[in-house]
Amino acid sequence: MDIVEIRHLKKYFRDGSQTVRALDGIDLSIEKGKFTAIAGASGSGKTTLLNTIAGLYKPTEGTVIVDGLDLSKMSEDQLTVFRRRKIGFVFQGYNLIPELTIRENILFPLGLDDSRPDCAYFSGLVRLLGLDRYLDARPHMLSGGAQQCTAIARALITKPAIVLADEPTGSFDMKTTQNVAGLLKMTAATFHQTLLVITHNPDLAQLADRVVRLRDGKILS
Amino acid sequence: MSADIILQAKGLKKYYGKGETEIHALDGVDLEIAEGMFVAVIGTSGSGKSTLLNMLGGLDTPTSGTVTIKDTELSGLNDEQLTVFRRRRIGFIFQNYNLIPTLNVWENIVFPLAMDGQKPDKKFVEELVGMLGLEQKINSLPNNLSGGQQQRVAIARALASKPDIVLADEPTGNLDTKTSDNVIGLLHATSQKFRQTILMITHNPDIAQLADQTIRIEDGRIVN
Amino acid sequence: MKNMLDVLARRSFSAGRMRNLIAVLAIMLTAILFTAVTTIGMGAEESLTLTMQLLKGSRSDGDFHNMTAEQYEALENADFVREYGLRMPVGFLTNVTRHNIEFDVLDPVQADLTFCMPSHGSVPEAENEIVTSDTALKELGVEPKVGAAVTIAFTAHGREYRLDMVVSGWFEATSDQISMMWAGPAFCGAHPDIFEYTYDRDRDMAGTYYSDFMAVSTAGLQNNLDNWVRQMGGDPDAAGSPGLSATINTQTNPAPDPELLLFGSVITVLFILCGYLLIYNVFDIAVMQEIRRYGLYRTVGMSRRQVKQLINRQALWLSCIGIPLGLLIGYFVGKAALPYTVRIFSDSYENVVVNVTPSPAIFAAAAVLTAFTVFLSTRKPVRAAADIPPIEAFRYVEAAAGRKTVKKSSAGVSLPQLAWSNLGRNKRRSAFITASLALCVVLLNCTGIAADSVDIEKQVSYSIRTDFAVVNALSTNIMKGFTRREHGLGPEVISAINAQPGVYGASAVYKNTLDDSNVTYDFPVSFTFTGTDEETGIPYAATEDAVFFNLGDDGHALCNVYGMEEKAIARMNIREGETDAHTLYEQMADGKGVLLGVPSDMGTSVLNPVFDLLDVGDIITVYKNGTPAAELPVLAKAALNGDDQEVRYTVNGPFEVGKDGLFLYLAADIYTTFYDEPAIYKYSFDVEEECRAAVSGFLEDYVTNTDPDLNYISAEDARQDAMATRAMLRFVGGLIGIIFGAAGVLNLANTVITTILARRHEFATMQSIGMTGKQLTRMMIWESVYYAVGACLLGLLLSAVLGFTVIKMLVGGIWYFTFHFTLVPAAVVCAVLLAVAAVVPVAALNVFHKGSIVEKLRVAE
Repeated sequence: MDIVEIRHLKKYFRDGSQTVRALDGIDLSIEKGKFTAIAGASGSGKTTLLNTIAGLYKPTEGTVIVDGLDLSKMSEDQLTVFRRRKIGFVFQGYNLIPELTIRENILFPLGLDDSRPDCAYFSGLVRLLGLDRYLDARPHMLSGGAQQCTAIARALITKPAIVLADEPTGSFDMKTTQNVAGLLKMTAATFHQTLLVITHNPDLAQLADRVVRLRDGKILS
Repeated sequence: MSADIILQAKGLKKYYGKGETEIHALDGVDLEIAEGMFVAVIGTSGSGKSTLLNMLGGLDTPTSGTVTIKDTELSGLNDEQLTVFRRRRIGFIFQNYNLIPTLNVWENIVFPLAMDGQKPDKKFVEELVGMLGLEQKINSLPNNLSGGQQQRVAIARALASKPDIVLADEPTGNLDTKTSDNVIGLLHATSQKFRQTILMITHNPDIAQLADQTIRIEDGRIVN
Repeated sequence: MKNMLDVLARRSFSAGRMRNLIAVLAIMLTAILFTAVTTIGMGAEESLTLTMQLLKGSRSDGDFHNMTAEQYEALENADFVREYGLRMPVGFLTNVTRHNIEFDVLDPVQADLTFCMPSHGSVPEAENEIVTSDTALKELGVEPKVGAAVTIAFTAHGREYRLDMVVSGWFEATSDQISMMWAGPAFCGAHPDIFEYTYDRDRDMAGTYYSDFMAVSTAGLQNNLDNWVRQMGGDPDAAGSPGLSATINTQTNPAPDPELLLFGSVITVLFILCGYLLIYNVFDIAVMQEIRRYGLYRTVGMSRRQVKQLINRQALWLSCIGIPLGLLIGYFVGKAALPYTVRIFSDSYENVVVNVTPSPAIFAAAAVLTAFTVFLSTRKPVRAAADIPPIEAFRYVEAAAGRKTVKKSSAGVSLPQLAWSNLGRNKRRSAFITASLALCVVLLNCTGIAADSVDIEKQVSYSIRTDFAVVNALSTNIMKGFTRREHGLGPEVISAINAQPGVYGASAVYKNTLDDSNVTYDFPVSFTFTGTDEETGIPYAATEDAVFFNLGDDGHALCNVYGMEEKAIARMNIREGETDAHTLYEQMADGKGVLLGVPSDMGTSVLNPVFDLLDVGDIITVYKNGTPAAELPVLAKAALNGDDQEVRYTVNGPFEVGKDGLFLYLAADIYTTFYDEPAIYKYSFDVEEECRAAVSGFLEDYVTNTDPDLNYISAEDARQDAMATRAMLRFVGGLIGIIFGAAGVLNLANTVITTILARRHEFATMQSIGMTGKQLTRMMIWESVYYAVGACLLGLLLSAVLGFTVIKMLVGGIWYFTFHFTLVPAAVVCAVLLAVAAVVPVAALNVFHKGSIVEKLRVAE
């Protein structure tokens, strides 16, 4: 089953007098439970694609359907709730809220919904990502790798339709990159999550089930 | 110091903290860089490469040891003197470009010269601009440039004052492979054309390979 | 699981110490502004009301007068009356000169309502006991002491009484002019003849009942009173009707003055603006500093409403800290400033009582206004945080140059240019800071103009035309005035004055009195009705515009007639006809005519058309003992000030003698031919500067010891009063201006500090590639100074514009101001602001831009 279906997606930006064609006709389907990597040069449109799937950008043309929901038909507020429940985010840096503990950071999306966490699921995630000892610590006490694992846990806590990661290992050295990448893949697989990762790191791309290459807003076949 | 040694470091040590928790970021580094060389210093995160760069550039002071650039020993300079020294004799290229957002490309390039009260050598700067492919964007502000373009501006800025040495800290860290290759190629080319000494630190062996010489650093010491 | 937003709000709040401090300071300043002014405003109102009540003599809600005993008893059943007192008037004591004493029978309720309760001793019980003020006792030649014996004399029902009484208690006098002396109801029993009710026959107040009362509620009070009066058989609409009437005490329940309300509203709006500019920026900066965080929140799924809740909650907590602190400080600031503010009214009223009670109203009003300002100021920043698209927020770089992508190169990159381009990063914020600082400049300058426009000499010259004037003490009693021959000045005091060194230009002024009813005047003015004054028995006539003239024995007008020497005439303000004083006086001395005085506008000296009844050339016929004695044409007309009519602000003397007119000025020699036993009412003279202090001392001693019936006025006293007004304006304006200035500087400091913190990374970059610490400091100073310069230019411009329009208009309406423009206060403030602007970045850099370059370069993105 395809958790994400994109048809003829175009996203254009106005940059002063010019029009930037960030996405110029994308057709893409992402299978549920699979790990997809998106690669491409800077400026190829990877981040724009990710943000559109997340409902952060409205398509100029075309349709984006995530978990059966047509994003173009949703209002700003509906999209916010959509992101909260259906999307998990892992960014390159600045993922966590410094004043909250690790536990609170992980449970944050649930807190916005005022819903109760699935305790077994939570413990499972935490153990898998090696965060047991850090639950009451603050983010600044953890290494970069551990912070990123916290972000991964948060991304998964709502059992989203898809986890979107934008250069999750971009600022790490090789060893940490390997660690985090491995954990990401394993955790997603364990809980049957769909994973979409933007990266230009070939080692990380190698771990994916499928690599989609973008150039100038189009998919390279 | 022999005629073509631009930079010399002797017994560089940088220790943080005290007693049991003392960290030896640099643990006795000796280094000599010859003029016109494009040198890569490679090491993993925590190896001390960034600390080394900061010492060499006068951005930080060593616990012990000396850094000499041409004939000037850095430890003898105070803060203001170091700053003046840096703007005349050292060029910096950072991982995240660090351009000044309210200045356009031209103004960013001539910034160090302007701070020195010098009039820029227009011809030379124009040559640099041409070489780095920035003519079209000369009046653009940084927010109108891609990552690769910004880094090229940073390179031009580093070269504009014809410094004794250019220090580059992970210059391709934020760039994709293609742009990275492009940037390293430009560094190489300028190094050759202007007989510019360049020292680059990186954790990426593929990038390091492109330099003339590779120095490996581990646990605060040079190995190899 | 605890409410996530709550947890987040609390943790975020605790984490932002510096940010919280500045926000609290900003809210506090605003609260101080409002509270100080509310305190001063309400305090001034309270003080004035109290003073007016004291002046009027009552703090009741209203009073009943001219009641019979039955009507008084019926008050028991008036359901709109909460409590009421008993007052049975007797009369004014006759054995007094300078200080009036009214003698009544009161009960304690009445005494309490009319400020007569004794502070020493107790209320009168026995029939010979009285309570009165210390000034009254001294007037009667007795030391204020419980148990002292005092003799009182008064007239009632045409009979004279002289009684020996004992002081059972006394209180501090609240008025220089008049005090109450009262006996208890036992006095009635002992002297029933005094309290015989004869009002319906002879309008004698003794025997009637009066009562001051407190109402259950002031709503609809006038209606209640009118109904009551009708019920009791009176007519509430008949003015001056005999019998029962009731009035509301307008000092206790004054009608709101629309001008004052307007002024108050303008001030309120101005304060809200000041607070707005500051608090808006504070929150705007705070939100911007955290914009990435809000981007993260929104990306991860926090709704707009939740973001707003988050910020609003923290704003609420900040207000809960800042407002009470500000209220407290503002109250004490206001309290300290109050006495100076109230002084402005002291030129008209002798004793102003300064009082402010910490009523909840003061705090409530200030708190509400501050909360409102905070609410208003935070709307936009809150909305910005909630509405910004998550992408933009997440990638937001505060230092971005905005929407511009291209910029033309300048010749080089200099520090002033760098600084200037930095200002463009956030134009709205720059504008707010500039406006905030400019507000201070404008306010201080406008206040300076107002203060400079206080025309001291105008006030002085209205009060008195010479350095000194000696009169009978009655002339300095606003309620009395010069009305009888026996109160004229004798030759002893005149020669004593002339003997003083330095005295020159002295002249005596004659005035007609009620005893001179045999000298009257006829002139071409038609009277439409006549009558007789109930109390005095003097007949009067009036024009159709209600200009009243007292009439003499033969039915012609008495007028107010003055006999003057040439020196005195020369000092007057002659407007029409023969304007050369010497020529005029020659003619007057030859008996060829008269100088007509017309009351005029205090500020412009324009003749008041209501009283300007004759033209130059009109003939005035003088009658003596019923036969025409002379025909005097009007030679010239003069605009009269206080000194020409009686002295300073006293008008009661002329009012009792001639009523509204005419004011005729004759040559002294001519005057003495018409009037038998001509009385001198005033001796005016100038004194050489170096001798003035000595003459002052001499006069003071003379009127205290040698002849206590006399009193004197000096130009210097008038000047002191006027200067107090100016000082008050400077003080209050300065106070408000300084608070505005503090707000502006806080705004600037906040921006500078935030800039340094937000651009830490950028500064470190610049320093690593070659900008020295000194150059960085210079650049920041340039930025700061640009704000100050902008503020100064804007402030100077607005000061000029507002000065010549609004201030000129405001000041033009008050007679003792003469518009005087100045930019000096603005210039001074600008200099201070520029100095401060230069210092702030230096201090801020020292505190916040410490540490090695390496640390700063490593600041997380």
